[in-house]
Amino acid sequence: MPDVIEMHLKLLFDLDNLISDMEEPSYKKIGFQIEEEASLVLIRKRNDLLKKLPQEIAQAYEILKKRYRQAIAPVDSEFCLGCFQKLPTQLSARSQEIVTCPNCGRILYWRKKE
Amino acid sequence: MNLASLLSKDRVNLSLKPGKKDDIIKDLVYIIKKGNDAELIVSTLLKREELGSTGIGKGIAIPHCRSLAVEKLEIAVGRTGKPVNFNSIDKKPVSLVFLIIAPPQDPGNQYLITLGKIVQIAKEITKKNLIQKAETPEEFITLINDIEKNLTKRK
Repeated sequence: MPDVIEMHLKLLFDLDNLISDMEEPSYKKIGFQIEEEASLVLIRKRNDLLKKLPQEIAQAYEILKKRYRQAIAPVDSEFCLGCFQKLPTQLSARSQEIVTCPNCGRILYWRKKE
Repeated sequence: MNLASLLSKDRVNLSLKPGKKDDIIKDLVYIIKKGNDAELIVSTLLKREELGSTGIGKGIAIPHCRSLAVEKLEIAVGRTGKPVNFNSIDKKPVSLVFLIIAPPQDPGNQYLITLGKIVQIAKEITKKNLIQKAETPEEFITLINDIEKNLTKRK
C-alpha cells in the first residue's frame, strides 16, 4: 500500500492502543499524571486521523477493529500474523493497492527489513 | 523478566545532547529504530506526552507507548549533563530518561509490568541520589541490576 496510508494506519492503530492503555486499571495504578479528559482528547485525535484516510479504508479499519481489535497485521514469511494463516504467494509487498488477508480480512503490511 | 537483561550498553547514552523534550525523545527513539518506524514511534510518544508528562519528578522521565514499529519490548536510556524541561509533575527539569516501547500484543503483559518496575527503580535512584553515579553504560546497567535485586529481596 502507499507509504503515507500505511503510516496513517499504523499511527491510528498505535493511538487506539494508547486509548485502551489509558483505560487499563493496571496502567492507572502505575501512577503517571494524566490530564483530565485525556481519553476524549485522544479519541478526537484518532478521529481526525481517520478522516485523513480514504473513506473505504477508514470504514474497513473501523469494522475490522470492532471484529478483532487489531485491524491491521504484519506479514512474516508469507503468514498473516493476525490469523497465522499462510498467504497466497501472489500477494505482494510492493502492491500499491490495499492488501487484505483472504482468511481474516485484516489489512496487511510488510515489515521493512532493517 | 530482569530489567537489566533488556538493556545493553549500546542502548544507554550517558552523554545525551541537551535539547528540548521532543529532541531528547527523538534521540532516544533513534537509538532503537530508524526511518519510518522511528517517526511512527516518536509521533505516538509525543501524543502520549500531550496527555500528561511522563516526567515522574526529581529529575527522571519515563516516556512510553506501544507501537507496531517494534516486535519486542525495547528500552533505551539517556542522561543529559544539563537538565531538560520535561513539564514534569514537580516542574523540575529532567536529566535521566528511560524510554520504553512495546509491541501491541505482548505475552503476559510484560509492558505494564516492566513499566511499573522502572518506576520503582527510578524512585530508588532519586531516593539514593544516584542519577549521576554511573560513569559508563556498563556501570549504569550494573547499578540497575543491583537496585532491581535489592527491590526483589525486599518483597
